[in-house]
Order: sequence, then C-alpha cells, then structure tokens
Amino acid sequence: MIQVENLVFQYPGNDGPTLKGLDFSIAKGEIFGFLGPSGAGKSTAQKVLYKILEGYKGQVNIDGKNLSEWNNSYFERIGVGFELPNHYLKLSGKENLELFAAFYTNGKKHNSTELFEMVDLADAMDKPVETYSKGMKMRLNFIRAIQHDPDILFFDEPTSGLDPVNAHKIKQHILNLKNQGKTIFVTTHSMETADGICDRVSFIVDGKLVLTDTPRNLKSSYGKEAVKVDLKNGQSEEFPLKDLGANPQFLEFLKQDEVKRIHTLEATLEEVFIRVTGKSLGDE
Amino acid sequence: MKKIFKLAFTDFKLIFRDPSLRSFLVLPVILFALIIWAVPPLIEKYAILAPYLSLFLVVGVIEDTQMFSFISSMVLIDEKESDVAKVYGVVPLNKMEYVLSRFLIPYLFTVVLNLVLLSVQTICEVSVLAILLISFLAALVVPVYALAINSMVQNRMQGMVYIKAFNMLVLIPVAAFFVPEKFVHLFGVFPTHWVFQAIDKATQNLSIGLFTVIGFVFFLSLLWWVSRTFVRKHFV
Repeated sequence: MIQVENLVFQYPGNDGPTLKGLDFSIAKGEIFGFLGPSGAGKSTAQKVLYKILEGYKGQVNIDGKNLSEWNNSYFERIGVGFELPNHYLKLSGKENLELFAAFYTNGKKHNSTELFEMVDLADAMDKPVETYSKGMKMRLNFIRAIQHDPDILFFDEPTSGLDPVNAHKIKQHILNLKNQGKTIFVTTHSMETADGICDRVSFIVDGKLVLTDTPRNLKSSYGKEAVKVDLKNGQSEEFPLKDLGANPQFLEFLKQDEVKRIHTLEATLEEVFIRVTGKSLGDE
Repeated sequence: MKKIFKLAFTDFKLIFRDPSLRSFLVLPVILFALIIWAVPPLIEKYAILAPYLSLFLVVGVIEDTQMFSFISSMVLIDEKESDVAKVYGVVPLNKMEYVLSRFLIPYLFTVVLNLVLLSVQTICEVSVLAILLISFLAALVVPVYALAINSMVQNRMQGMVYIKAFNMLVLIPVAAFFVPEKFVHLFGVFPTHWVFQAIDKATQNLSIGLFTVIGFVFFLSLLWWVSRTFVRKHFV
C-alpha cells in the first residue's frame, strides 16, 4: 500500500536533513508505527506522506503510484489525526465536524451523532469547542480523521493528552479500523501505544530508522526466554521457559512457599529501544 | 461551489461569534454617516476644504475596504494560530478554491459597500461607470491585504502589529495630493495610489481608464503573488 525508499527531507533554513534516507513499507490492513523520541523525524515523515511537505528526495509510492502524481483525490483516501487539537474554538464540536465533512464525497458516510457517541462526546457535541478539555479535543481530532471512511489513516501521537481510559478506547477504535481493512501509520513516543496496537514498529532516531520488526519479536529477541518466580518468603529464582512444566527444580521451588509473583523476562519495547539506540524515548 | 459557500458561511459564523470582529461590522455604518451627514456641512462652512473634496471620497472608499481587510486577516491568523489551517492542507479542496472561498464574499461585500457609498454621497458627482470601476478596483485591497499579512505573521500579536503598519501603507498615497504635479506618480509604487488617482479624476469628470487599467494589473499581479506565497506557508 505504502512504499518509501531513501526518503530524505530537509526543512528550508536548516543545516542538515531531518529525514536521512528512510526505507519502509506498510501493507494494506497493517498498523505500522514509528517509535522514537521527540524531534526524531516521526511527524515529518508523516507530513511528507500526507503531502503537506514538498521538496523531499527519494521515492514514495501509494498504491503503486508516485505520491507526486496523486491529485486532490488522494485526500479523499486519507485521514489525518493531528498530534495537537486543531479546531475552530467558537464553533461547536458538531459544526467543526460537519464543516470538514462537507469537503469529502464520502463526508456523510458516518452519522455525526454516532461518531460523537463512539468517543463519549455526545453530550458535548453542541457545545463550543472552547469549552472542551484537551482530551475531548483530541477525541474530536480522532473522529474528524475517520468520518469520511478513508483507506489510509495517519495518527500522530493518537493517545497524547488522553486519560488512561480514553487512551485505551482510542487504541481499541484503531484496532477496529485495522479489522475493517484500513492501513494505519502511527507515530508515537509511547511504548504502551506502540506495543498495544502496532503490527510492526520502526525505531527512529535522528532521522534514521534503526530497526523494524513486530513488537513481539523485538521483546523476545532482546529479553530472556525465562520466568522469574518470587516466593512470599523472599526467595526468587529464574527458570528457562523450555520444558518448564517438566522442570523438577521449578516444581520443587514452587513447593517451598506460597508464590508471590511469576512473570516472563521478555524485554519491554522501551528497554529494547534503549538497548538498540542508546537513547531513551523521553530524550529530546 | 458548495464547498466554497460552506466555508464562506462558516466565516460569517466565526465573525458573529467573536465580539472583537463583530464590532468591526459597524465601521461602514459610521463611515456612511460621516460621509453623508457630517462632511457636506463642513465643506459648506469651511471654503478652505474645497480643493480637497475628492480626498474625502478617497478616505471613505479606502476605509470601506479596511473592515474586511481586518476581519479576514484576523480570521486567517486565528486559523493559523489554532493550527486549523493544517486541516485544510489535508482535505480535498484545491488551494486556490480555498483562497477563493475565503475572499469571494468579503470582496463582493466590499464592492457593494463602495457602490453604495459612491452613489449616495453628495460631495462630488461621479459617473456610474466610474463608480463601478472604482468599486471593483478598490475592493481588491481586501484579499491582497489579508493574504499579504497572513504570509508574514504566525500569531495574533504579530498580526496586530502588521495590521497597524498596513493601515498606514494603504493611506501613504494620500500624500500625492499634497506634492507638486511632477512627483505625484512617485507614489505609484503603492497600489492604492492608482485607486486614489482614479477617484480624483472621476470627481473632475476626467477619464479614469488608464488609472484603473494600471490599478487592476497592479492589484491582480500582487494578488497572484501573495496567493502563491500564502498557499506555500499557510497549511504547513
């Protein structure tokens, strides 16, 4: 669906490029994520793909057609969830949604009230957006991006500014969109978001892709294939996962006292990121 | 066309819901009252004003354009500051359609204001053709002004400073009325000079053809240039 080869982009007036030769592809129906710290080039890469930034070098193909050859019909096919809320504050949520729906052939595909209900904003849909919290505005961002039923979705930090409950709901909605066959490109510096929804993630640091794989492969290849058992008496021991149920030492250890905790020793995505890139996700 | 009117209609909603913008809508009413009721008695009372009658019309016409120049500038600055402009960058709306949708109604509204002002004023006699040409020409100040400001500023504070500066810029060619004849067209580097000269000649029943042609070419070239600059910067 999306193929990117040797993508280089430099902002006018900058000393060097922000994107330094990115290569990646996103299959139809896949959720692909860029995971990286602020300033790594995540949003810039998305902006190139949704045609806000011109003057890039390299090859970008969407459905086999060069991005520069797509006319305005491209915007009918994509939906963009911006990193920060961007709405007319004097208009109500519904007026904002309906204004932008008017630009699309498919703009009335979804009933606007149902969209507001979907993100728990039905009670606020007729209120001016200036009375919304940041989380409410972000949910409005989300439904504006999907209201015209696009094939390709770009979400820039989709859970930013949301409380854990709403962040979870948005992640579920993104997974539902994937199940409908949508192709989704997410950028995030949240390990939980990347781990929870992405089929594959790429680590991006200083405008370069360092590693691309599924979250499961990354966590298992950089962790230990073992479990750690903590007993209430304070004893703690690790056992290999292989043939765990037939491991006499493991079974004997369990008999010594009540088990306080058993957990696998796979790495978290954040640990993998730090180990691979030498940087933390919170780094600027 | 439906998209264009939807956006134009939204602009009016935004204007009416913002007290600072809404208050500007009374500007033409005040201006009309001054030109119709306040200026004629002054002219009658002070003979010294007689050589400058056309100046009252010049100021009246240019101030008519300032209402939507200010309002459109502020609507677009707000849009930029609140990042709503970015959303327009990813909708299936041609960028020139976008520019047209933001300025078609303000432009036509300003044309009508000038048509009415020039028709009802009793200061000078102006032919119908001249009224039409001057009204359509002067209203081009609105899109050029608002697009130029929005090509340069990032936020409301900067916008207010530039608006002050532009308010002075459009009026600078008034000075041409007070300099020796041979220096008059030095002010031709300012596009409003050609509007002012057209008004002056129209009040003297002289031909305004040359001035309006230069004016239209100047304004339309500027409009083309500032539109391109604006489109390059506004949606990023």
